[in-house]
Amino acid sequence: MRASIEDYFLHPPAGSAAARATQFGIDLTLTLGNLRLTPEERIRKLDGFIESVNNLKNSIRVKGTADAIADQDH
Amino acid sequence: MPLPTRIIEAPLRLLGEYNVDCVIVGGVAAAIHGSSLLTSDLDVCYARDAANLRRLAEALQSVHARLRNAPEGLPFILDAETLRRGLNFTFATDIGDLDLLGEVRGIGHYEAVVTDSVTVELFGHSFAVIDIGKLIIAKRAAGRPKDLVALPELEAIQEAQVIPNDSEPESQN
Repeated sequence: MRASIEDYFLHPPAGSAAARATQFGIDLTLTLGNLRLTPEERIRKLDGFIESVNNLKNSIRVKGTADAIADQDH
Repeated sequence: MPLPTRIIEAPLRLLGEYNVDCVIVGGVAAAIHGSSLLTSDLDVCYARDAANLRRLAEALQSVHARLRNAPEGLPFILDAETLRRGLNFTFATDIGDLDLLGEVRGIGHYEAVVTDSVTVELFGHSFAVIDIGKLIIAKRAAGRPKDLVALPELEAIQEAQVIPNDSEPESQN
């Protein structure tokens, strides 16, 4: 990646879209991390996040069910 | 039943294998351009010529696509004719959710969306991805909070794309 692009995201020039994004609350180091990846790697990363979230949701459901059964036993 | 995995990759592979003419739009297009925002389904704008609708219907049938959030028992025949009669569809499939857009708000139909699109290689197939400027227009036109929140980062990515090249080191000659 070109140094000027890295610099744009790490040190957004005043009045730039990057400066506005930072002010909005966007962590542009995450964006920069994505830009260092290939498009295919970006999709794989996205799929990894989705899978983690789904697994987490699933484990919460299983835990919730197990707790409900345990409560019935008492 | 286990949850499907690779729920973006798998539908992309499917569309590639069936040679469906489409443009990746929405959150996945934003991710391909570098956005860090999460999305959990694939949106594509598809060409509506008869041959493409046939390929698309075959692809969807192969993964048992059904209308998402439709009432149980709603009669629905998944074929090219049904796709021709409709425009936008939201499907759940065995491999993940897939949203088909005949038209992208703020941009238009496939022909307008594919113009200026960028081509990327994904999982052994070439895909058109909506131009970032058009993606910004589309998200602004959609106007939902989840679209609007994506704008500042996309605008920063767009601006970064036009930063002049780094100056070349001066020749020692």
